[in-house]
Amino acid sequence: MLRKIPVMVCAVCGVFMAAQYFIVSGPVSQLYGTVLDWMQIIFVCALLVGILHVITRQIKNISRPGPERWYAMIALFGIALMVVLGFGWGISRGSPFLWVFDHVQAPMQTTVFSLLAFYVASAAYRGFRARHAESAVLVLAALIVLLGRVPVGEIISPYVPQTVSWVLNVPAVAAKRAILIGIGLGMTATAIKVIAGMERTYLGSGGR
Amino acid sequence: MKLDRRIIFMIVALAVVVPLLFPLGLPVAVTDETRAVYERLERLEQGSVVMLSFDHEASSLPEVRPLAEAILNHCFRRNIRVVGLALFAEGAAVGYDILHDLAARHDKQYGHDYAYLGYRPQYTAAILGMGESIREVFPTDYDDTPYDDIPLLREIRNYGDIGLVVSVADGSLPTYWVEYAQARYGQEIIAALTAVMVTAYAPYVDAGQISGVLGGLKGAAEYEILLGRHAAGKRGMDAQSLAHLSIAVMIVIGNVVAFGLRRKNETTEAGGHSS
Amino acid sequence: MSDIGIWITALATLAIYSFLYRDNPFYKAAEYLLIGLTVGYSLVISVKTVLWPGLVLPLLGGDTAKIIPLVLGGLMFIRLVPKLGGWSRIPLAVYVGAGAGVSIPAMLKARVLQQMGATMSNVTTISGVIMLVGVITTILYFYFSREQKGLLQPVAKIGTYYMMIFFGATFGYTVMSRVSLLIGRMEFLLGDWLRLIAR
Repeated sequence: MLRKIPVMVCAVCGVFMAAQYFIVSGPVSQLYGTVLDWMQIIFVCALLVGILHVITRQIKNISRPGPERWYAMIALFGIALMVVLGFGWGISRGSPFLWVFDHVQAPMQTTVFSLLAFYVASAAYRGFRARHAESAVLVLAALIVLLGRVPVGEIISPYVPQTVSWVLNVPAVAAKRAILIGIGLGMTATAIKVIAGMERTYLGSGGR
Repeated sequence: MKLDRRIIFMIVALAVVVPLLFPLGLPVAVTDETRAVYERLERLEQGSVVMLSFDHEASSLPEVRPLAEAILNHCFRRNIRVVGLALFAEGAAVGYDILHDLAARHDKQYGHDYAYLGYRPQYTAAILGMGESIREVFPTDYDDTPYDDIPLLREIRNYGDIGLVVSVADGSLPTYWVEYAQARYGQEIIAALTAVMVTAYAPYVDAGQISGVLGGLKGAAEYEILLGRHAAGKRGMDAQSLAHLSIAVMIVIGNVVAFGLRRKNETTEAGGHSS
Repeated sequence: MSDIGIWITALATLAIYSFLYRDNPFYKAAEYLLIGLTVGYSLVISVKTVLWPGLVLPLLGGDTAKIIPLVLGGLMFIRLVPKLGGWSRIPLAVYVGAGAGVSIPAMLKARVLQQMGATMSNVTTISGVIMLVGVITTILYFYFSREQKGLLQPVAKIGTYYMMIFFGATFGYTVMSRVSLLIGRMEFLLGDWLRLIAR
């Protein structure tokens, strides 16, 4: 029963949500809005399930020997801090919750991603090789954009930024557009298979 | 040629730090793409409403903050009203801060000149839901004030009352705005993107599905020039130039060295065969 | 930004940058703290700005229509009980089915038809012809229903050149993006913290 019912529910929801695109009527729009509302609640509950899983995993790690124990404690401290501040003092302007977000969480996240500036430079030096015609085109396109999209490109030659604009607006668009069309067709086919019950991986191992 | 990666790291760090300490004042030219976004906002009537969606994580803050500030400066200067929201959880706090900061700088009043709806998850449902009723998707604003208690929001039912949506994004969210708000409801979209996403959206601009793209710190710097301002985006352009130049030089050196080694190996092999 | 706030931000930034030298306990501690803060933030924002106004308050106000999403959301939590986990497939089915349904017309219109239309709209110009050739040859590169030999092989090869241009341009912009983040952090360290540059 727990295999057939979800497949039927999926089919009904899928057919209705696809059909409503073409039907302009009050009750249909209302039901459509209601289903969208359900989707948001389900999404948040799924997110909370994931968060609970992370918390239980970190609690388990505390009982392990070695440095992992201390790192798990730090992670749990971070979770507890935000929960206490958020529910205790609110999330409005001037709240300690937003203070921690602004002074610790956001700068740390930015710093982690900025590390990639160093690694991308290292990777470019080691791996960006023009070994054959295709890779030579790749390297050339990267160099043109690297120089042409910053002021130094304009100093080298006024044609550099113009060339970059053309490269971005014609050949690069052509490739990306072909990829978009391919993805669009592929996703449509997958969506139809999901609604028809031919694709059930979302149900997990018991769904097959 | 073997090179300790920490030397490469040092080169990149110096390329960024030195021009920040000793600015070069390189000229920044405004691209047609940025000018198109600026002119679109110029054409909006005073009093019309722009929906600014903070569709990004906190990790891209140094890029998205100048972009959002540039758009907001323009909107508030022209007395265009702004409704902010976030479709990523971390964008919620970032958007809340930026919108209030900029509104304070321009003496704008909350509830009349701007409002902040907060965060909604599951962007497909949120974007589609707002096409029917924004009030249903956001029953309250970020600070729990009921939707109908905010005068600006009382005037807004759905996309029909929104002049322009600006998605400040570091990922694929503008795609969903195009697929669900533009294709379904005909809502006009502009994307203010981190540089890494710019090439992904060029086909949408070419097809007219997105009215314009403002890209990265450079895009923000160009926009500031059009606004006659000098702020974060423009300050970083010298560092951006030198860092790009250093990486480009490293790519060229890496290729020259690899080519030389390949030639040397081929010569050695040829010599070995002939002997 | 208060002085203590600046110092906390600066120390957190330096702890993460210490990874550039090598992996170390300071970086690891910062990494786990960041994971904790991010999880805690998501939990608070999701409950306070979504579940509370969107589900709890209407239910407390007597909105019986919210019982269905309450049940669907509640079934997701049953996933945590392995023996009853199968029930969570029902809300998943609603979510996946509705998502698949709305995506079909939107995807076909925005990603396929409008993109095809834009490709055909300016074939009278040289750039338009170059674009058309690029779209067709790149699509043919991804045509796997028959072996790529004969005429198909060189045609698909042209597509690879277009893709290399796209990937190269994307790489250039990726560098731009990451350098921008680095500039942001350096402006903070040199400006707000060390006060060597004006902010």
